[in-house]
Amino acid sequence: MDYKAQLKLQAFLDGELPEAEASEVANSLAGDREAAALLGELRNTRDALAGFETGIRLPESGDFFWSKVQRGIQRLEAAEPEPTRTPFFSRLRRFLVPASALALVFIAGVVLIQPAGLSGRAPAPDIETALAEAGAFTYRDYSAGTTLVWLSYPADNEVAESDQTDTVD
Amino acid sequence: MTAKDNSSTDDQTLVRAAQRGDMAAFEELVARHRDRIFARAYSMMHNEEEAVDLSQEAWVKGWQRLAQFQGEASFGTWMTRIVINLCLDQLRKQKRQRTESIEAMDEELGGVERQMPVVTVNPTAGLERSELRQRIDRALGQLSYEHRTVLVLHEFEEMEYKEIAKTMGCSIGTVMSRLFYARRKLAALLADLKKQDLV
Repeated sequence: MDYKAQLKLQAFLDGELPEAEASEVANSLAGDREAAALLGELRNTRDALAGFETGIRLPESGDFFWSKVQRGIQRLEAAEPEPTRTPFFSRLRRFLVPASALALVFIAGVVLIQPAGLSGRAPAPDIETALAEAGAFTYRDYSAGTTLVWLSYPADNEVAESDQTDTVD
Repeated sequence: MTAKDNSSTDDQTLVRAAQRGDMAAFEELVARHRDRIFARAYSMMHNEEEAVDLSQEAWVKGWQRLAQFQGEASFGTWMTRIVINLCLDQLRKQKRQRTESIEAMDEELGGVERQMPVVTVNPTAGLERSELRQRIDRALGQLSYEHRTVLVLHEFEEMEYKEIAKTMGCSIGTVMSRLFYARRKLAALLADLKKQDLV
């Protein structure tokens, strides 16, 4: 009987073989005295061990043992590190980082929404400068329905022109 | 709640109370399972003093990890696994400190057990329980820790090969080989003890 067959026999005893292999081993046992003898030995050893631990008792009184366990628990709890004090700047940073992120999100939101125009809000007043007439300024307030035009007289360009004419002349 | 009041309470209720910090409930759990936990440590270590220390450590760890106990297994089984792991750690530490003998190397290779004659007569037949226990105790003490551990996990903890392999960090083939050697060696040792009686 080779080693592999011996281990297979043990697996059979332990119920570790698939059904087909287990019935194969069971059938072979009838004609194999060596295998049957080995199986008997393995079974006797297994049976002898049954119930071995049930007779083992702790060699100390229950109270004494508990007192040691209790002391162990107390030692453990005393040794557990207290939550360390966080330095002020570290705590501040912990607050500032999310606050900054929120502020950035808010600003980004405002910037993105602004061009689309917020409903109900009047457009800001316009100031126009006509390039052809650099001396004229127009102020339009849409909410008040007002338009104001400033004219500087004489216009700066006219002065320049007249000065130039004068010079040419 | 006093320890006396807890004596009729089931394990599950005691565990829930202990998880809330009730030390008296935990004391009752210790009282109920201390022998079983010690017995497992003793089977593995085969040293009474170490077994007491390790079972005590297991209870402290049990209290510490009580929040993790979800009740998939019984409380006793959960505690047993804690003490087994502590014993395995301790045995590994001890192994690192000693040199392996040539015999142990042979055992690993699966050579010795093949040469042992089959014990045809049951060497424990007719023995009283206490006498049987003593003989098994002596025989277990002569096994290497690897063989004893495989035997304990299989026979007492009722683990399957796959589970033992995972627990011990080895292959299933190694588990089968170690278990086979341990059983054969134990049979031979028990037979020797019987012969000594007859002489």
